Amino acid sequence: MEPIRYVDALNEYYGAMGNPPYRWTVNESAPLYRPEKPLSECRVSLLTSGGVSQCAMPAFNPDARNDHRLDAIARDAAADDFQIHDSYYDHSDADADVNCVFPLERIREMAERGEIGSLSDHFWSGFMGRIYNRSKVLEDSGPAFARALEDERVDILVAAPS
Amino acid sequence: MGLVCRLLEERGIATTYVATGRDLTALVKPPRALFVNHPMGNNFGRPGDVATQTAILRMALGLIHSAEEGGVLVDYPTDWDEPFEFLPGGNRSAASAG
Repeated sequence: MEPIRYVDALNEYYGAMGNPPYRWTVNESAPLYRPEKPLSECRVSLLTSGGVSQCAMPAFNPDARNDHRLDAIARDAAADDFQIHDSYYDHSDADADVNCVFPLERIREMAERGEIGSLSDHFWSGFMGRIYNRSKVLEDSGPAFARALEDERVDILVAAPS
Repeated sequence: MGLVCRLLEERGIATTYVATGRDLTALVKPPRALFVNHPMGNNFGRPGDVATQTAILRMALGLIHSAEEGGVLVDYPTDWDEPFEFLPGGNRSAASAG
C-alpha cells in the first residue's frame, strides 16, 4: 500500500483545531559520519521517542508538547517492565511487546551473537513528538544527549521515532 | 528526533533511523533512514515476531556502512500485511472501540 501521508493528515488535524500552520523542518542535505570499525567492533545504543518508561518511573505525559525529558534505561532492563503513555499513536502492540518500538531484546541478542561489538550501558527514551521549540533541541537537550553517548563511548545510535 | 540524529552525526556518532512516516522522514532528512511501511508504533513489526524485529534492526544497522551520502532513505522490502490508517491524536484501538 502507498505510504500514509502524515504531513497532510497532521496539517489538517491541527489546522482544524485552530492552530497556526506547523512549520515543518525541511532539510536539503544531511551530514554523514561512517565509523571506520566494522559493526562487530562498534558499541551500539538505542533511542525511542514513543513515550516508553520503566514501570518504577513516572509515566510520560501522553499529550506532551515540548517535553525534553530523556530517561536512561539500563541495557539489561526487563522487557516486561515498561509502560507507554503517548496519545500520538496506537501503542497496543507495543504494550504487549515493547520490542515493537524499542527492540532492546533484539539488540541484546545481536550483541550476544557478535553481530555488533557491544552495547552502551544505557538505552534511551525521550524526545517525544510535538517538540515545537527546536532551538532547545539543537542548543540544549540534543548536545546533552550527545555528551551522554560520548561518555558511554557509543559509536552507533539506532533511533526509532513513534 | 531526526534533528537529534543530524546533530549526533556532526559530532561523530553514526545514526540509523527506523521510521514509519516516509514523508516526515524525507522532510527532516536524518543521515540514514529505513522506512518501514507499518502502522506508527510497529516500527519493528508485530508483538512476538522475533524474526521480523531482528530483520528490520539488522537492515537498519546495515545502512551504517553502506550509506554513501547523508540523507539516504531506504525502503524495507516487506509491507504490513493488512490495510491501516493513521488517526492523528487518537489511538487506533480506542477509536475503533468508540
